[in-house]
Formats: sequence, structure tokens, C-alpha cells
Amino acid sequence: MTVTAGFGEAGEAGEAMFQRPPAEVRHADELAALRADDDDPRPPGWKLSLRAARRFIVGDEQAGISRKFVGNVSLVERALVTLATNRGLMLVGEPGTAKSLLSELIAAAVSGSSALTVQGGAATTEDQIKYSWNYALLVSEGPSARSLVPAPMLRGMAEGRIVRFEEITRCPLEVQDCLLSLLSDRVITVPELHGPQGLVFARQGFNVIATANTRDRGVNEMSAALKRRFNFETVFPIADFETELDLVEAESATLLRQSGVEPPPRRDVLEVLVGTFRELRGTAAQGERMSTVMSTAEAVSVAHAVGVRAWFLRGEPGAAADVVACLAGTAAKDSPEDLARLRRFLEQEARRRPGPQWQALHEARHLLAD
Amino acid sequence: MPASLPDRPAGQSRPAPATPPAPAVFLGVRHHSPACARLVAHTIRTLRPAFVLVEGPADMNDRLDELLLAHTLPIAVFSHYRDAERVATSWAPLCDYSPEWIALREGHAAGAEVRFVDLPAWHPAVAGHTERYANRYADAEARYAEATRRLCEHFAVDTVDALWDGLFEVLGPDADPEELRTRLDTYFGLVRGDAEADAADRAREEYMASWVHAALARAGDRPVLVVTGGFHQPALRTLSARYAQAAAPADWPAVPAPPDGALGGSFLVPYSFRQLDAFAGYQSGMPSPGYYQRLWETDPQGAGQGLLRAVTERLRARGIPLSTAGLIAARSLSQGLARLRGHPYETRVDVLDGLAGALIADDLDRPLPWTTGGTLGAGNHPVVVEMVAACTGDAVGRLHPGTPLPPLVHDVAARLAGLGLADTDAPVTLDLTEEEDRSRSRALHRLRVLGVPGFTRVSGPADGTDPVFTEVWEPRPAAGGREAALIEAGAYGARLDEAAAARLGERMSAAGPEAGAPADLLFDAVQCGAGALCADLLTAFAARVGQVGDLGRLGEMLSATLSLWRHDRVYGVARDQLLGGVVRSAVDRVIWLAEGLHGGPGVDLAALRALEAARDALRYAPGLLSVTPRTAAEAAARISRDPRAPAGLRGAAFGLRWALGVPDDPGPVVQALAATAADALGDWLTGLFAVAREEVAHDTGAEEHSLIDVVDGVVSALPEPDFLVGLPALRQAFAFFPPRERERIAERLLERRRLRGSARSLLRTPADPLLLARARALEENVTRLLDRHGLGPSPADRAAPAPHPEPTR
Repeated sequence: MTVTAGFGEAGEAGEAMFQRPPAEVRHADELAALRADDDDPRPPGWKLSLRAARRFIVGDEQAGISRKFVGNVSLVERALVTLATNRGLMLVGEPGTAKSLLSELIAAAVSGSSALTVQGGAATTEDQIKYSWNYALLVSEGPSARSLVPAPMLRGMAEGRIVRFEEITRCPLEVQDCLLSLLSDRVITVPELHGPQGLVFARQGFNVIATANTRDRGVNEMSAALKRRFNFETVFPIADFETELDLVEAESATLLRQSGVEPPPRRDVLEVLVGTFRELRGTAAQGERMSTVMSTAEAVSVAHAVGVRAWFLRGEPGAAADVVACLAGTAAKDSPEDLARLRRFLEQEARRRPGPQWQALHEARHLLAD
Repeated sequence: MPASLPDRPAGQSRPAPATPPAPAVFLGVRHHSPACARLVAHTIRTLRPAFVLVEGPADMNDRLDELLLAHTLPIAVFSHYRDAERVATSWAPLCDYSPEWIALREGHAAGAEVRFVDLPAWHPAVAGHTERYANRYADAEARYAEATRRLCEHFAVDTVDALWDGLFEVLGPDADPEELRTRLDTYFGLVRGDAEADAADRAREEYMASWVHAALARAGDRPVLVVTGGFHQPALRTLSARYAQAAAPADWPAVPAPPDGALGGSFLVPYSFRQLDAFAGYQSGMPSPGYYQRLWETDPQGAGQGLLRAVTERLRARGIPLSTAGLIAARSLSQGLARLRGHPYETRVDVLDGLAGALIADDLDRPLPWTTGGTLGAGNHPVVVEMVAACTGDAVGRLHPGTPLPPLVHDVAARLAGLGLADTDAPVTLDLTEEEDRSRSRALHRLRVLGVPGFTRVSGPADGTDPVFTEVWEPRPAAGGREAALIEAGAYGARLDEAAAARLGERMSAAGPEAGAPADLLFDAVQCGAGALCADLLTAFAARVGQVGDLGRLGEMLSATLSLWRHDRVYGVARDQLLGGVVRSAVDRVIWLAEGLHGGPGVDLAALRALEAARDALRYAPGLLSVTPRTAAEAAARISRDPRAPAGLRGAAFGLRWALGVPDDPGPVVQALAATAADALGDWLTGLFAVAREEVAHDTGAEEHSLIDVVDGVVSALPEPDFLVGLPALRQAFAFFPPRERERIAERLLERRRLRGSARSLLRTPADPLLLARARALEENVTRLLDRHGLGPSPADRAAPAPHPEPTR
């Protein structure tokens, strides 16, 4: 089964064998077209001008450029301008708000490649950020440019490209802080090498896009010194109900097709599903916030599961009762608190909403396993 | 960017202003736009029109002189209307950079005759669209959002305000007026484009066109300048062309008079930037008056720098650190954004975006307010709040002393005289059960709410449940600023009751959603006479109740509101529908919150009282509620079974089911509780007795199934250490029963043991009272000593009340 993740389009025929080719491959035609008629001034080291990069991300119907990121245009503009200055860009937000997608798109537009990526985690070390050694060569030849294995930061600086640092706050603090000198002095020292080889200066075009989610470990623990080397941009869940519903409908329809489910998802059922997600996200009236992630991406995966369940079990499109059954696994995960919240929502809140699907959701509340 | 605005059809483009014979020049403006104001001034200077027709209430035409006095702006033309069915108030705010204001002043100075040409504010076509508190100078196009949405998409901007700034305001004072006008024409042509105006807008346009026709007839070959909202301009042009064939009218169009029996009028009131910026939604018009004032006085660069300076000063005054490096980053970001967006200078949004990007090193809880176009809600980052405040500015208008006083001043004087309160210097004691005193009390409370000095309340009922029926007010004669305060309050309404209601509404929106539903606000509304005028307020209040997070506070408010609704004879709000709405949403919320409450040991009496209040509502006002007794009982069953809910709340939920007539068997529950923790039983009983004391006292269940028997059985079987641990909680629980009921329980216990004797004697302690007194004194000493060394219990723990504190065993 081939599944494309994120909100991008499915790959072209040539890359069909990949589950998810990178953005610069997925949208190679658009990038080429934009580059061809890009007359605006480009910041040094950039593959596209700021305006062309903006069009690549927010779309331009007349020029046949698809919209790839649903969100405020001004956010994209601020992000691009930030990257043209000497500060890094920090994208923060709830999980599943398409932060990584945005950083991938920006890197593809600005540097033509989104591949220079450091994935942050508890086990991330400086080696994975700056450089490490080919120990066989190191032992036989001693430290040399040949035995050096550059990591994304070193490559980004040497080649003048954007480096993505995913989930930066999941790294230990001391590892995060190795970015300090790198971002202010824009140079990496390799003390083992002598002469000019021991200093790698950042070329024009190098900058860092870091992403951090507000759930695991917020940005509060980041050192103030590192914080002030970044401009922060908060990426929000989609504000408009209709936009989110359209997106969930389109994405889940694609996924269902790929899973061999014939009927497309029913819009009135999706309305209830997206409404429930928005409610439990804490943006709506009652203000109850789940501790698990209630992102649009999660809504898409629930919608997918709903369709699969209904089609393969009963041979019909998904109904409100399937939503309840699938929500238990996604929304509540392993937290009994969340399960209670969800149950309370179905018991009290769903009943009050108008429309047959909401009533059906309320009626099906017993499907939420204890 | 402007070059890509689609071209207008050639037939509609305007000839140069000086070229006869096209004497009517239509200038479509955006209200409160400095760029449009400059264009109006320029056009008047070059065109030298005979008439300047301005969108504004035509009933003000006789009193335009008042407007031309030397006021300190902002001021507003305040219009009010009231008949048997409808109350409407609206404002037409004017500030230094309002195109209407410039048309008025410059037109007058150039010797032109100036006229307001729109329907009066009370006219249904003007008041019909909008809410009760309307801004005449709101953007009409906001009601027809499709075209502006498409434009925003085309130019890749988030809001209409950003679009407008980038197209018009950024041109600054040196813009070529002709180019600006062409661009405005194109813009408004596109905005109006295919939008089918509603009947109300068409009525206004017809009326304005009739003025244009009349003015043209009088002007001879001199030009007539028509300054209206840009949305109306294309339609006015078409209508005027049609009128051109009609015969010249002999007179100006008639100004519609209010129907018989209706009251209405327009007056000048002082206004402020804060009020101007506070209109929400469709009413908002252009935001950030402080910024545009600077833009008017200087240029886009000056305004941007002024904003930067104001934000910096505000942040530093608040103690929020702001480094020079941060400011440099903010500046370079704003400049970069301006270039990316194709602006020759930085616009408001460029500056704000730059500041936000560089200065905020946290994740935000809410999107930046200028990217969504809404007003500032709760949960905004402090830096964002300061930035928005810096944009709003703090200018406050003042009327010229020669301006006729706003109607409120006369209304208050007449009202106080009618109530015999005009020249009192002795304290006024009011008996609230007397109708006459009650109206005095209402008037004084309304003045208090409006912040008008003169009377201070010394005593009176503290809330809706306070059984006090006398109020004492002390006059403060010669209180300075009384008239000034009244003139200022004149902006809230023409009559005391309206003004007080509007002020209360403002207080609620100013409190912000995080303040929840302030109970004092509700009681203020009741004291001011919660009539139809407070309808909006109470409806909004009921909505707010749905967001309160604290069960205890919510319970207090519910019981106060419910008792007003049930028993009030003083304020006349018993069975009031709107109060009923508050009760309804409070009960919904109580059940919602109670089901989510989890916690450890101990009893939260406030939470128990909330369930008690919900029980009363379910019992005495079931018709009001959206929660049916059945759903409430179901929810109670879930709470009662929830092992993570506090024992007290579980007991209360159990009691609620009992009180609703669906009792469960207490046996297994009591057994299970006693087995887990000895004090949990006491807590559970406390909750149960708080909500269902009567049911328990009159419980005639069969032997072995009645609660008392079950509890007796369990307690008797407790080992001594457990019993001692559980005793305080058990005592607290049984303290809910008055002595008489306790005696019946004692009788029952005797019966159960087949003993004879006086049940009452069981309730009395056999110990020597002196010994008890000494014990109590010792205990107090110990408490004092602990307190002195900071080891005492917290005040909250100590506050647990015991209604009947005698020992029970």
C-alpha cells in the first residue's frame, strides 16, 4: 500500500515507487517554471526570489502553481524574510499543524533541496549535527578532509543551503546549544584539521529552520541565548471550519481510494468528525483541551479509518457510529482522562447540536469502549 | 502591485475635475482613511465646488455649526431612537483624518455649502442592518465579503485592512491625487462589482442620489462634490445619471421625521480612540486609530517609526525586556516584508509583523490579531497586547464649551428632580419594597454604573440572596467633575437607563472572556433594572457562563441567580426570561464541569453547593433548562460511578439521583467506600447529605436497605483505628442535619438495636461543659501558636463550615 503523508500531492509517475518523494521532486515542474520567469531580485545564495518562493508555497492560480500550505500568507512572508536575515526561523505549534511540511517547502524553494535535515531526538549528538569521522580512514590517514564525514549543518554552511532541524526541543539542551556559535559566528571549527580546512565558513544562502512542538517539551526550556538567535513563528491549526473540512475531505478521499475503498467519504459525517476535532482541540466554546493531539492530520487519519472500517465490514460509506469507534483509538490513545473528556463530549455536547449526524454520534456513544 | 488591478471599462472613468460640463464629482472614500481625507482636501481646493455633499445624518443639517466649533477630536455624532418596538443607537465617529470631517471643514472654509445627505440614523434603512450599537462609518463592503475575499486572495494578503494599507495608505502625502482617485474608483468598482446591495443600502443610495440631483439643480454650472463611502459610489453615479433626465426639483429632499410617538435625535458627544477601536465584526471599520493619526500628521515612515517608538516605550514601561538587537531585527524584518510585499514604505502590518517576528520568543496561544481581522480576545501574548494598544492610541476628544449638552445631561437632571434627589444634602434612605424608592435606587445605581460622582451607597443588599431591603446613599454635594462625567457618559446613550445598559455591556466586553461571568455585573444589571435594555447584556452573560471554569464560583452564581428568578419581589426580575437563560446555561455548565472534576481526598463544599443549586434548578425550574432530569440523572450516575471523582462529589451525584427520584441502592457503594478509606465514607456522606438531606431524613426504606441502616452496619464493623480516622469526616457529614432530624436518626438507631431510651439524650454529650470549654480554649491556643510560627492550616482549610457544630455521638 502506498500512502503519501502530509498535505502534498501524490508523487509523479516516475517516483511512484517512493512512498513520499521530497518536495523538490514532487513539485519539480512548478519550481522550474517559477525559476524560469523569476525576475525579482534574489537574496544571495537563494535559488528563487522571495516573491517566487511565496508563490510556490501559497500558490498562484493564474500561473498554475498549486497552494501547498493552508494558513496565513503573512506567516509565510515573515518566515521567508526571516531566512533572508541573519536570524534562524523557529516554527512552533501543536503537533500536526504542518510545520515540517512548511519547512520542507521553504527549504525546497530557497535552496532547491529539503534533504539537509537533522532529526532531533533524545539521542541526537553533536556528531549528527556538525560532523563525524570515517574511523577506518581516520586511523589509517589521521584527520583529513577525506576522513571527515560532514553532517547536515556543515554541509549546509559549506554549500550555502537551508538546513532543517526537526523537533529541536527534543534534543538535550547541551546539544541544542552547539548551534549557538554556529548561528552567530556562522563558522564551524574543526579543531582536528589544521590550516584553512579547520574553519568552515557559512556561504550565503545558509540558514536554519527549526521546528518544535508545544506538546512534548515546549520552547520554554530552550536557553535564552539560543532563543534570541531565532525568530519565532507559531503555526496554528486551520482557523476556518470550511477550509479544514475541505482539506480533510480531499485528503481522506485520496487515502480511501488508495486503500481500495470505493465510496468517497460522506460530507455530513466528515462535518461531525471535524467539528468534534475542533471542539476537543480547545478552540471552541467549552474550552476543554485534550492532552492528545487533535490535528487536521489526525482528523484525516480518523476519516480514513472510518471509511475503511465501514467499507470492509459492511460495504457502505462511513457513518457517525464508525467515527465514535475510531475516535476511541486516535483521540483517546492511552489517556483515561482524554477518554473521559471524549465521553463527556459525546454524552452532553453532541446531544445539543442540531442535525441528524450529531444525534447519531450521541446515540453511538456506547461504542466508546470502557 | 497596483498595476495589476484590473482596468475599469473606459466609459466609467472620470474626466479631469476642472472640465465642464460634469458638475457632479463622486468621491468614494473609506471612512477613517487618511489617504482619502487628503484626497478630499485636495479635491475641494482644486475643484472649488458650490456644494459638498457628505454621507452623514441629514437631520444634523440645521446644526452643522455645532460641528464647526473648535472641538478636540475625536468626537461623534450620537443618534438615538426609541419607539414602542425598537431602540437604536448609533455613532458616526469623526477624527482628524476622517474624510467626512475634512469635507465638512474644508468645504466650509472654501465657501461651499456643506450638507449631510444620508438618511437619519433612526431610519430603519440605517438602523436595520446593524446591531443595537452601530457604527455609521463602518465599511459597508464588509457585509458583502465575497469581492473583498477574492481581492485578498489575488494580492495574497490576510485581511482587507492589510490590502487597503498596501494599496492606498502607503502612498503617503506625496501621492498623485489623480492616480489615487483612479485607483480608488477601480477598487470600489471591483468591490461593488457584482454585489447585489440589499434593500436598506438601496434605499440609502436612492435618498443620497436625490440630494445630488437637487444640488446639481442649484449649482448651475459650478461643480458639486459628493463624498460617500466607496461602496455606494458606483451606485450613486448610476442613479444620478438616471436622475439627470428628471425635472429639477424645487427644493432639497425632505428629511424624514420620526413617526408619531417615537423619540429620536442626534447630538455631539466626546469620543475616544479606545471607543473607536472597540467596534467588533462588521461594525469595526478601520482599526488602530492611533497609528492612522500619526499617518495623517506625518507620512508612512513617520507613522511606522512612531509606532515602533510607542511599542518600545510601552514594553519597557511594562518591564518586558527589549534589546537593541531585537529592535534592529524587528526593523530589518519590517523593511524586508515591505519590499517583499511591494510597499514603498512600511505599512502598519509590516511594522507589526516585524515586531512580532523579532520580539516574541514564545509560542502563541492565539493568532496575531491583525492577521485575522478580529478584535483582541483573551489569551494574547503580552507583547501583542501592548502592540495593539500602541496602535489604538489614547486620544480622548473634548467638545467645545459652546456645544449644546448631550441629551443625557438633561435627562439626568430631569430625572433626579422628578425623584426628589436633585438638591439633597442629607443621606437618602431607600426602602426597596416601595415602588417609589425603588425607582430612586435604580436611578442612583445607574449613575453609579456610569461612574458619575454625586452619590455613594453606604449600605444595601450585597447580592441577590441578601435579605436586606434598605439602601442608604450619601450625597457628595459640589462633587467636582459631575457635569464633565455626565457629558462623557453622554456617549453611551441619550437616557439614563440606556446609557447605563450600554456601559454595562462595555464593561462586560472589556472584562474579556477570561474573567468568566462576573456575578457583580449581573447584580449591577439587576439593580439598574434589568429590562429589555439589558437583553443583549444578559444574553452575552449567559454565553459567558458557558465558559466559566470554576465549579464553586459557578455554583454561587447559579444559586444567586436562581433565587432571584424564583423569589425576587424587590427588583421585579422573578420569572424573568433572560435571567432564566443565565440559569439554563449555568446548569448546563455545572453538569459539564462536575463530570470532569477529578481530585483527591477532602471535601470541596463549594462544588457540592453547585450540585445543590443544580438540583434546585432541576426541581423548581425544569421548564427553563435544556438538561432534562433524565439526562441529569444519567450524568449523575456516571459521576457517582467514576472512581477518580472526589468522594464528596460522588456522594453529591448519588444524592442528586435520589433527589431526582431515581435512588440507587446505597449498600454496595457504602461497603466499597468503607473498604477503601475510612474518611472517604464521611466525604461521600457529606456530598450526599448536602444534596439529598431531606430524602435521607425521610427515607423509610425497608430494614437493611435504608441508608442509615447500611451506614450503621458499616460503621459498627469498622476497626477502632479506622473509625478514629474516619470520625471527623463523618461528623462533618451529619452536621448537615438539624437537631430534630438528628434525633430521628438516633431514634432509628435505638430501634435497630431494640433498645429503649431517650434519643435526645444521645445527642447531648455527657461530658462536663466546663471541660469542653477548656478543651476548646486549649485548641485555640495551639492554633494561635501554630499560626504564629507559620505552621497553621491554610485559611481555605479552616473555612469548612459546620452548620450545626454540636457533637453527634
